[in-house]
Amino acid sequence: MAAEVRTGVYVCHCGTNIADKVDVEAVSKFAGTLPGVTVSRDYKYMCSEPGQELIKKDIKELGVNRVVVASCSPRMHEPTFRRALTSAGLNGYLFEMSNIREQVSWVTRNPLQATLKAKSLISGAVRKVRYNQPLEERYVPVNPNVLVVGGGVAGLEAALKIAGSGNQVFLVEREASLGGNMAKFDKTFPTLDCAACILTPKMVEAGQHENVKLLTYSEVVQVDGFIGNFQVKVRKKARYIDINKCTGCGDCEQVCPVNTVDSFNEGLAGRKAVYKEFPQAVPNVYQITKTGIAPCRVTCPAGVNVQGYLALTRQGKFGEALALVREAMPIPAVCGRVCFHPCEGECRRGEIDQPVAISAVKRFLADQEANKGKTAPPAAAVAKSGRKVAVVGSGPAGLGAAYYLTKAGHEVVILEGKAEPGGLLRYGIPEYRLPKSVLRQEIEHIVQSGVTIRTNERLGRDFTLTNLQAEYDAVFLALGTAREQTLEIAGENLPGVQGGLEFLEAANNQPDLKLQGRVLVIGGGNAAVDAARTALRLGAENVEIVYRRTRTEMPAFAEEVLEAEREGVKFRFLTAPVRIVDQKGRAKALECQARQLGEVDAGGRRQSLPVAGSNFLLAADLIIVAAGQKVELPASLVGSIAVADRGTVEVNEHFLTNIEGVFAGGDLVSGPSSMVEAIATGKEAARMIDAYVRGQTLPARENRPRPVKESVSGEEFYKAARHEPAHLAVEKRRSLSAEVSATLSEVDVVDEAKRCLDCGVCSECLECVKVCQAQAIDHQMQDEYVDLEVGSIILATGFEILDPSAGVQWGYGRFPNVLTGLQFERLTNASGPTSGRIVTEDGREPQAVAILHCIGSRDKNYKEYCSRVCCMASLKFAHLVKDKTKAKVYEFYIDMRAYGKQYEEFYNRVQDEGVNFIRGKGAEVLEKDGHLLVRAEDTLLGAFREIPVDMVVLNTALTPRSDADAVARLFTIQRSADGFFLESHPKLEPVKTATDGIYLAGTCQGPKDIPDTVAQAAGAAAEALEKIAAGQVRVSPITAYCLEELCSGCKTCIPLCPYNAITFSEEKKVALYNEALCKGCGTCVASCPSGAAHMRNFEEEQMLEIIEGVCAL
Amino acid sequence: MSELTTEFTGEYEPIIAGFLCNWCAYTAADLAGIARIKYPDNIRIIRVMCTGRVEPTFVLKALSSGADAVLVAGCHPGGCHYQEGNYKAYKRTLLLQKMLPQFGIESERFRLEFIASSEGEKFARVVGDMVAKIKELGPLSGARARIAALDGLFAQEDLAEGGTNNG
Repeated sequence: MAAEVRTGVYVCHCGTNIADKVDVEAVSKFAGTLPGVTVSRDYKYMCSEPGQELIKKDIKELGVNRVVVASCSPRMHEPTFRRALTSAGLNGYLFEMSNIREQVSWVTRNPLQATLKAKSLISGAVRKVRYNQPLEERYVPVNPNVLVVGGGVAGLEAALKIAGSGNQVFLVEREASLGGNMAKFDKTFPTLDCAACILTPKMVEAGQHENVKLLTYSEVVQVDGFIGNFQVKVRKKARYIDINKCTGCGDCEQVCPVNTVDSFNEGLAGRKAVYKEFPQAVPNVYQITKTGIAPCRVTCPAGVNVQGYLALTRQGKFGEALALVREAMPIPAVCGRVCFHPCEGECRRGEIDQPVAISAVKRFLADQEANKGKTAPPAAAVAKSGRKVAVVGSGPAGLGAAYYLTKAGHEVVILEGKAEPGGLLRYGIPEYRLPKSVLRQEIEHIVQSGVTIRTNERLGRDFTLTNLQAEYDAVFLALGTAREQTLEIAGENLPGVQGGLEFLEAANNQPDLKLQGRVLVIGGGNAAVDAARTALRLGAENVEIVYRRTRTEMPAFAEEVLEAEREGVKFRFLTAPVRIVDQKGRAKALECQARQLGEVDAGGRRQSLPVAGSNFLLAADLIIVAAGQKVELPASLVGSIAVADRGTVEVNEHFLTNIEGVFAGGDLVSGPSSMVEAIATGKEAARMIDAYVRGQTLPARENRPRPVKESVSGEEFYKAARHEPAHLAVEKRRSLSAEVSATLSEVDVVDEAKRCLDCGVCSECLECVKVCQAQAIDHQMQDEYVDLEVGSIILATGFEILDPSAGVQWGYGRFPNVLTGLQFERLTNASGPTSGRIVTEDGREPQAVAILHCIGSRDKNYKEYCSRVCCMASLKFAHLVKDKTKAKVYEFYIDMRAYGKQYEEFYNRVQDEGVNFIRGKGAEVLEKDGHLLVRAEDTLLGAFREIPVDMVVLNTALTPRSDADAVARLFTIQRSADGFFLESHPKLEPVKTATDGIYLAGTCQGPKDIPDTVAQAAGAAAEALEKIAAGQVRVSPITAYCLEELCSGCKTCIPLCPYNAITFSEEKKVALYNEALCKGCGTCVASCPSGAAHMRNFEEEQMLEIIEGVCAL
Repeated sequence: MSELTTEFTGEYEPIIAGFLCNWCAYTAADLAGIARIKYPDNIRIIRVMCTGRVEPTFVLKALSSGADAVLVAGCHPGGCHYQEGNYKAYKRTLLLQKMLPQFGIESERFRLEFIASSEGEKFARVVGDMVAKIKELGPLSGARARIAALDGLFAQEDLAEGGTNNG
């Protein structure tokens, strides 16, 4: 303190606001005794001109150089008094305020206590002000661009005002079109203007204005900076349609097979996955709703677009559906028969009743094509690459790789060692599950697509790998697992013992094969079950499966096990073979041992442990050992190709073996798996080989997309049982060639496809792509991020309505003819689902309609506030019902709030139209004798009433948007107790927020009607324009700074600063504070261990003085 | 303890120092006033821009200068005007809450609250609760000397930071 401190203290009466509770004279007298106080006065209104003059005069005449005003909150008049000081030549920061109104007189009952509290606060302020320093205010330039968030009527108005002034506006709208809630309205009260007629011109103008940059279907995700200089990040959600190319013709909508709920029509109607919100949408373009990839498709090893082909199937587009299957699965008829369909296990329909019969639908699609006698022409050939690929092995992996390599334009030859192609599909799967004719057709389709298949050419016998490498650009090995596992027990090589595959192959090749007697099958996999069922069909009298674990552990498909049991196959579980009994050089019996289950082993199954002394004999005429398969490599490859421990071929992530140009896939790599998994690896390997032969970098393995995870609520969907394919009667299953399960009928298949829940909404069937002449559709589109720099932000994010299903008494969601006000708006709107006809759910004109006010408003159970627009909207609804129908109309109101210009007159007019007004809140809606019954207490009659009606309109509360909390945090603004955004002052600053440079417009600040909304929007625009016109804004000089000579360079403060205002000087080894970036929170100061960090006006010595001052009394 | 008020009411009247952030808690206190919600006069409000500015020294200073308890009130988590100053304040208070009982000071005498600008009622309720609680505990007399000594130690050694280095 260089000069002598001469403090002036001024205690305000604030009329009687302070003086009634606080003895202002006593306080003033007390203040005069405090250290450094030169003069102390009290005055009626310190904020008035004469009040301020008192201060100025004392500064000039008494040499006062510090000022304390004890009055209202500094949030109110601190700037006023600072200006007064400045105008008298004293720095405005040599000033303190004591809040003795909001925080003393208004909250304290007893005058003596209030007086004492006022004294203590003033004592603190007087002690602190002695240490106050003059501070210089700073100015920063204002970026003239403005961000408007929300494209409803408020956002449009604000944006157009600013654009009209010649400044640039970024208008961000979350939905696909501008318009907001108002675009849903039919008429507007009290003038009955058509909402669209007055709104759409503004939408169009905003869409065309050179100063308005529209960002529809976009959301603000990040806001940094401060008034004059905000940095904003906006996420432009992928529309999957290029808005610059889309002409809005709607061809895509015509072909889209997916229906979903139309939220614009408030759920009263459906819409397609590709849609435009409403006819006058701006921009006038379509977009596609995608919520993720359906779980069926994600689960499918081959990634077949299940949802897509189901959607097409239910439209009867079987050919298109089948083509879509073939995009990922070249053998749909086989797949529809033998796949273990993991898709059905994940189907969300299963949460409601049963999963969709996905596999059966696919089988129908393939069979209907085959029945027509001609297969679909292979897709248009792509340009030939001139590259040649050899595929060794014609099982599913080989077929898959060959098919997709051919589609990519390469010349592909499959070399198959056996006499016919198909691998295990041909030789391993019995005819009753997969007829050979079906397999032949599938392979024929693959051949037609351009693949050459050469049979009876075996690797290592007829050609070598070196031969292939010389002739082809790449080789794909898909040899499968051809060798049978043996049990390593005595007698295994005796006649009368066969391997499972050996047996199945024999049965497949010799139509006249016959068996008799007792057959034992050892094993628990699909080959064992197939062998057992085949043995029965070949005439065996008694077939028994011997398995060392229990049914739960069997790797065979449960369905197959069940069918085997039905057909008469017996099971002997917990039994292991010990040796095969040799009788005269032939197997005659199996010696077995009982087993028990132990702990879960590394493979996830419980171990099978021997039971000592439990051996017994099972007699048998034939013993089939189906103990699994393993890889059998040609001798020439042994030693040269890298193999894993269990004998499978090793490949890298690109399916490439250790030999250059030689790829491998299917069971050869994975060990025994499934048909669909083999197809999947063949297809993935094809992508790698395609890149390889073209000399490109090999692509990464396919990333599985995110599945739709939300659980379904069972009530929302109709129940419909799954259509199961018919099964052949058991007694008719004595022939190997009789297929057990049948194909669904066309009618059933279409019905079955309708059971699909369209999990991802858009099914990516790509029909829209085919019809879009503008080529605007891009299903691979990604979200984009845009960075904006603006000086001001106007929030016009609007409202939602209360969901009346919150109150079960109102019947919403239970009775279809109970509507919300917004639903009624859509119903009566000419562009709505009924083209404006007011009808009940069954299409009839209502005889009586009840309109209930204050649903959720003015109700302590829901929202305490009045929603302000519902009385007038209800009158409008009544008028529209009267105008369009002959129905009686009842308004149930608490009291009528018709407070605006022409509102009361409109009320009178509606009364004259014959509407019945019942003063009493609609308490309950019931259903009785096919009518709705509204119960209420008529408070004018003093009577309880029940009115039968056909339709009830619930005029629900306007509420803050459900994400208002997150939006408030994003923009660092506050919300009031009702959840709406909080204005800076409820009366004098209804447009500003506590954060400078962010303004509010419309219903995001509180419920209001359209005129008030538009007026506030214009006000918000004026606030932003004021800053633009000024060109610069004042920013607080209360910032942190560093006394470098004290700084120890510990860097503690650096990560604490949310504004990155602190950096470290490597040269000086001290923290450098950038005061231009500092916002003055003081966190760094509080954390500085060496006392180097300081904060202007909140210096440690100042804080300690005020603490001592206020705590002493 | 406020001796004058104690004399007037005839019962022990504690003093509670309240450090309120400008944006949330201080505004809430103003709102309580605008709504004329009455609460005990024992609170002495000190405005800070952010609770992140509150040093442990301030709390000790208040206790050694006559306050019987200290309230620090800021924005709700996620609602801080300065993004995360309230978290920093919270972390810093953990130290104090561990330390005060070692000096024989009940942990109830130091309280951190999150009060949004719209929560005038909550502010009044918190003050009411706290005053009732401190009245039960009685004056902070014997411990005040120890606190004063500690406060002096803090002022000399500038140990105010301990435990908050990680922000």
